[in-house]
Amino acid sequence: MNSRERFFSVLAGEIPDRVPVIPVVDGYFAPKIIGRDNDECFLDGICQAEALAASLARFGYDGAIAEMGLGDEPNVLGCPVEVEGNDVPLVVETLIAGREDIGKLKIPADSSAVATGGKLEPVRWLVEAVGAGQIVLGSVRSPFEYAATVRGLFDFMTDFYRDPELVRDLVAACIPATLAVGKALIEAGVDALVIKDSFASSSMISPDHYREFAWPAEVQAIGELGGLAPVVLHICRNSMPILEDMAKTGAAVLEIDSPVDLAAAKAAVGGRVVLKGNIDAAAVIEKGSLEDVEAAVRYAMSAAKAGGGFILSSGDSIPNSAPENNLTALVEAGKKYGKY
Amino acid sequence: MKDTLENFELAIVAGNANASVDLADTIVRQGQATADEIFDHLAAAMEEVGSRYETGEYFIPEMLRSAEAVEKAMTVLEPYLFERRHEQAGIIVMGTVKGDIHNIGKNIIVSALRASGYEVHDLGVNVSTEKFINKVKETSADLLLLSAFTTSTKPALLDIIAALESEGMRGEVKVISGGASHSEDFAREIGVDGFATDVKSTLAICRSLTGA
Repeated sequence: MNSRERFFSVLAGEIPDRVPVIPVVDGYFAPKIIGRDNDECFLDGICQAEALAASLARFGYDGAIAEMGLGDEPNVLGCPVEVEGNDVPLVVETLIAGREDIGKLKIPADSSAVATGGKLEPVRWLVEAVGAGQIVLGSVRSPFEYAATVRGLFDFMTDFYRDPELVRDLVAACIPATLAVGKALIEAGVDALVIKDSFASSSMISPDHYREFAWPAEVQAIGELGGLAPVVLHICRNSMPILEDMAKTGAAVLEIDSPVDLAAAKAAVGGRVVLKGNIDAAAVIEKGSLEDVEAAVRYAMSAAKAGGGFILSSGDSIPNSAPENNLTALVEAGKKYGKY
Repeated sequence: MKDTLENFELAIVAGNANASVDLADTIVRQGQATADEIFDHLAAAMEEVGSRYETGEYFIPEMLRSAEAVEKAMTVLEPYLFERRHEQAGIIVMGTVKGDIHNIGKNIIVSALRASGYEVHDLGVNVSTEKFINKVKETSADLLLLSAFTTSTKPALLDIIAALESEGMRGEVKVISGGASHSEDFAREIGVDGFATDVKSTLAICRSLTGA
């Protein structure tokens, strides 16, 4: 099987030759593979695409993720973003001071509005570079995450009690942005979409607030985008309290992070959705030894491989400072212990 | 007065900003509470909020709700507290370091420091080394307080210390770093003069380093 066949076999509920390995390698890690800094590749989509393709070729995992400056920009809504060196990009100015500003948001009307200025050329470049045997996952923010970004995360979360109607209205206003970016990425050739909703994690907000503010918009976005391409719903850190809700969104795959007990997750929802995860990107891949990486992969396989429905991954983005040998070890252990 | 202070503490834990402002007003009108008593109850409230966050009862929105209750109450209390500490305690430059946008804790501490008689220059969040250094020079600050929520800000903190040294300023200003993830080991690695993790410890370390 090639990587594409392997990935779609899992999504079809079949048993592949081995568990696909698709770690979250994106603009935080990949640029150094071609000797560039993260800020260069964030600002230049082709640089980003070259880095992602080079990383895929170097380490031999099963799919590239088009992320960070490559179709998934916070400034798709007009938020100015600063990035320097290998630091994380920061939104430096928020757009929503109050309800009256919602109408001023530059929500893309449709996918063609996202594609202006050649923004999606890097995605097309990447799709062509990886070739027909491998897959590209496009990455887009959820409406809840877009809303938090344009309001400012702390003001947004203070609004949960101060003005919940504003939260609901702002999230609803951002649904077209997720749809437009998602559709644009699909039209550019990605094979599946990752919808990121990390601010909705139970490490940040209560399950009740997730169900009130984030989940309805997820369902609406996944309902429409899931008809065009498989959707991976990513919520990092602890998502165990909301896993059942996530499984009901219509997503084909749930991407879960290291705080989640993978065996418990498999038992809870493994019969209904594919699970992707959940090797600790920081403690194991960045800071662990080669033996730690292998042990973590062996455990993950024992917890989730049986019966199919599992994609081995890091739980979240692999940090810039993670040793390349550890990523090699992850992929090799995945191939070794993932055979059916 | 005791009841008022206890209810003030409860209002903050509950995140009831209206009640916390009303009770702050009552404290001022009653005029009996000392600054230390008020800060003790404030610290106890934030400690309870932190504890509820650790046990999973509170999440970030609930912590923000309580922080807002504190901030609003402090606008009422600052003049009252300042009257009781009318000598200027020192000049402070403060900000959240580059790469970090957390500001809740910092904002509460800025209020508490002003109320304690310090002249505080708050540079905001995601502050560059250059901006910190320039402001310390401009104000002849006694203290530089660096808010850093996560340990991933270590390079930014080290950069600031190195810049102070290369400018020949390190001996003229005391540096305190703070944030929920700080520890004695972390502070030692960075090379600061002190560290703090909450309002009470921040006030205590500022007092001890300035002799205020």
